[in-house]
This record gives sequence, structure tokens and C-alpha cells, in this order.
Amino acid sequence: MTTPPERPAWSLVPDSLPRVDAIPLVDEITPDWAWGGSDGEGVRVAVIDSGVDAGHPAVGGVDGYVALGGPDGSELSEEPHEDVFGHGTACAGIIRSLAPRCELHSVRVLGPSLTGRGPVFARGVQWAVENGMRVCNLSLGSTRRDLFEPLHELADVAYFRNVVLVTAANNVPVPSAPSLYASVISVAAHEIGDPFRLYYNPAPPVEFGAPGIDVRVAWKGGTWITATGNSFAAPHVAGLVAKILGKHPGLTVPHLKVILRAVAANVRRAA
Amino acid sequence: MAFGRAGGPGEAAAGRAELTHPAPQALESAVTTMAGADGSERMELARARETIAEQAAEIERLRATLAVAATAGVIGSPVTHARLLEMIVETGVHVIGARAGALFLLDEARSELVFEVAVGGRAEQAKRFRVPLGHGIAGIVAVSGQAMAISDAAGDPRLAADIAQGVGYLPETVLCVPLFYGNRTIGALELLDKHDGRTFDAADMQSLSLFANQAAVALELSRTYRAALRFGERADPPEDTAADDALELAELVHEIAQQGESERAACRTLLRGFADYLRAREAPASGLARLMG
Repeated sequence: MTTPPERPAWSLVPDSLPRVDAIPLVDEITPDWAWGGSDGEGVRVAVIDSGVDAGHPAVGGVDGYVALGGPDGSELSEEPHEDVFGHGTACAGIIRSLAPRCELHSVRVLGPSLTGRGPVFARGVQWAVENGMRVCNLSLGSTRRDLFEPLHELADVAYFRNVVLVTAANNVPVPSAPSLYASVISVAAHEIGDPFRLYYNPAPPVEFGAPGIDVRVAWKGGTWITATGNSFAAPHVAGLVAKILGKHPGLTVPHLKVILRAVAANVRRAA
Repeated sequence: MAFGRAGGPGEAAAGRAELTHPAPQALESAVTTMAGADGSERMELARARETIAEQAAEIERLRATLAVAATAGVIGSPVTHARLLEMIVETGVHVIGARAGALFLLDEARSELVFEVAVGGRAEQAKRFRVPLGHGIAGIVAVSGQAMAISDAAGDPRLAADIAQGVGYLPETVLCVPLFYGNRTIGALELLDKHDGRTFDAADMQSLSLFANQAAVALELSRTYRAALRFGERADPPEDTAADDALELAELVHEIAQQGESERAACRTLLRGFADYLRAREAPASGLARLMG
């Protein structure tokens, strides 16, 4: 009797690979193909921010809460929490306006205490990547150099697990993680109000532009403000990604980048 | 960075600008690939070019001002530090064209923002005060590291309560950017009510963000020098902490030395200046000791 030859640990067994859906040619991708008829149902979206005010009419409920704290970010509470600043509620409201039936989770990493600010943020991203989130909105980042390596690794883990990290670009040329990494979708603000109008930037690391100037956003305590910032551009892309995934659940991060580019307003299309 | 007309102030504005900001040429290529670009879009593009050129010139002027301010902070007296803070706010208010402005510094240990200085309004009556994080735009900007503007601050007075206390009136529009030094946020710079009654736009945010970056360096250098002076005036520390202090000092120098040539040069200037000061201070005393001995 002969024993089957041992396979290298990383080799693929062609017949046992799962079948995946075909994707149309890039030129044929339209907004209607990408998200037409989708409300983001079933897509888990994490707002990694200052908390989310579930009672705000723009948010319409929160499906899960995690608040991280402590000097190294290891203290975790899944009790319902409030939004400390209003920033997370603004992001959640934008996401809900585009993907009203997505499953929204508030991952609170910003609070009134500055203790462990960087590690708490990194732990929040880690929690989202390891706990079944599909899209994460990061309208913040860390400038701490000692966190760049763990955040870079986390961004790669997210990429391979099909967790989409949508990050706000920084206005200042200060290195900020993870928005500079290739495995995330980095977004800056443009001034056109149409929430479906995207631009593709051919000079990364910021790859996409979305509305973020004078945007009416939900805020703390049931209020609304008109605000400007890349913080409000990122959730527009997170919301659109949730819509796309609601319709095409099997897509990966590189597919999503191709689709977002294909529907961008500055793409020259064949006549 | 921002997309669209606001663009970026260009490569001349900051050596590392290409990291997060597309160069104007890149912006241009993005715009010109737009399907069916018509006359109005071309005009828009021409306006964008003008704005970018104006901003680049503005930033260069700011750099020069700040270079002077930084030097003054390093070689001057503690009074100059206060003046430097004022200059930062005044320059921001003047260049962007705002009715008032204020500077907050972050107190990490107490998780508070310390209101340092205001310009405009009833600023001259303003006293130094502290704001717990969680209140106002400056707080969220300082903790998130993201610049933010609001166009209807009076609609929710809590948002601008911090700055209202500093300048004695409630603004309509606010632009707030973080102050970064090294790898951390050290505070926030806020401007209130743009002169022409319009809202602060993406170009204002971009310019003020870059300015704040330069201002933070000047401010931190000045603050370090002040701390060094205070230390020099104190009695010798007790024996048991001296070794720890020396080690911490060595670690700091090592950290700075790894940042780059200009950082090493700045550090050397600071330390040499301080050492010279100490030598000068000690010389007469030792002479007197010899006489008495």
C-alpha cells in the first residue's frame, strides 16, 4: 500500500476549491449593477469612533456595541453606550442613509479620557476584524509610530478576511495609520453634494473622493450640524460598499476597489 | 487632502506633501479624464490652478514667518513663548481671513484641553481655562486627529462653547485643525467666522492644516526650551532620581537623533544653548568659591 504524497502546506487542491461568482468586464460595471436595489441588508458595518447615538432619527438603532478602554485597550464592554462627541453618530447617520438595512455596530475607541488612545484604537480595529464585521468605517487614525506595524498587520489580516477598512485621509502630510496602507480604501472629501458621486484619484495613497464639504450630519443629543471634513467622506464610501456587498456578498477588497473606480465620475468611458 | 476645486497647495508647500496629497498635476489629470469636459469645467480647472498657486505663495510666507517665530522661541525669554502663541493665532486669522481665533493645547495627563490664547472678539479679557474633552469641536479634532469645520455653530451652542468662552461671542462658522508634533497631537487651532460671511472651505482647511503643522514645531521647540530653562534654575535633583533622569535624557536624544538631519541639528542647537547657559551661570559661582576657599 502506498501513502499519498504529502502536499506542501500552502498548496491548493484545485478540485476542492469553492466556486465563486463571475464578475462583468470593468467597462460594463454601472452603479445600477453595483448597488441598484440594495439596502445593505445583512452586511455588518462597524463604526469605529466615539460611539453611536442609537436614538438619533438618522441612525435608527444600533445592532451591537463594544466599548474599549484601559491603558492597553484590553478593557471591553458590550453594554449599550452613548456617543461621547457626536462624531460617530455623524458617520453612522451617513452610512444608514445609503444602506438603511445594514447591521450597524458601534465600536467605541474615542472617549473623554486620553489614556491608551493609540492602543485602544488598534484594539478596536482588531476587535472588528476578528468578530465578523464586513465593513469598518475609520474616520480617524493613529500617528503613533509604534502602532504602525501592528496596524499594518491588522490591515493585511482584514484584507485577507474580506473585511473592508474604509479610512478618512488626513489633511496634513503627517503619516497616519492605517489610511496610508494599500489594503484599505482611503477617502478624501469633495464638495459636490450628490452622495453617489465618487471620484477616483490616480495618485494614491488617497484613492477615492466622496462628499464631505458642508454635509448635513447627525450629531450628539439628537441634533444636526453642517460639517466639513474627510471624516464625513469616508462613511459615504462605507455606505456604498455596504450596499454593494448587500447585492454581491462574495466580493473581496480588490473587487470593491475596481467597482468603486469603475463608477467614479472622472472615468472616461467608451462611447 | 481634499478633492475637487480645493486641490492641494502643491509640492512647494511641504516636502512630504506627496505622501497624502495628490500633486496639482495629478489632480489635473483626474479632472481632464472626466467624460465630456466642457468649457465650464475648463474654467473651473483654471481657477483651481490659480488657487493652488496662491496657496503655495501663502504657505511659503507662513513658513518664513514661522521660521522667525521658531527662532525667537528658542533664543528668547519666556515672554516670547506667549508671544509665539499669539503670533500663531494671529497669522492663522490673518491669512485665512477670520474674525477671531484661538489655540488649545492638550494636557494628556488630565485629558483636558487648555485654552492658551485667543485673538479677536473680547480676546484681551480672556483668561486661561480648561475644557474637558467631549465638549466642543476642538476636543473631537484633538482626539481624532482629523480637521473639521462647521457651518452652523450657533445651531448647537455646545459645539462652540469652548471657544465662545475665550472670545466672548458665539461664532456662526468654525474651522478647527489638529496640531501635530512628531507622532502625537499636541493641541488644536480654531478660527471663527470667515470675513466674507462665507463658510470655511476645503482650501482653508488645507492651508490651516499645513500651517498648524509648522506652528506645532515652533511651539514645541519653544516649550522645550522653556522647560529646560526652568530645570536649569532648580536645585540639583535628589541622587536617586538623577540616574533615571539621565537615562531618560539619553533616550530622548537617541529618539531625536533617529528622526533625521534637521531634527538632530535642532536638538544640538537647543542642547548647546542650554549647556552654554549653564556654564555661564556656574562660572562666577565657582570663582567666588575659590576666593572663599
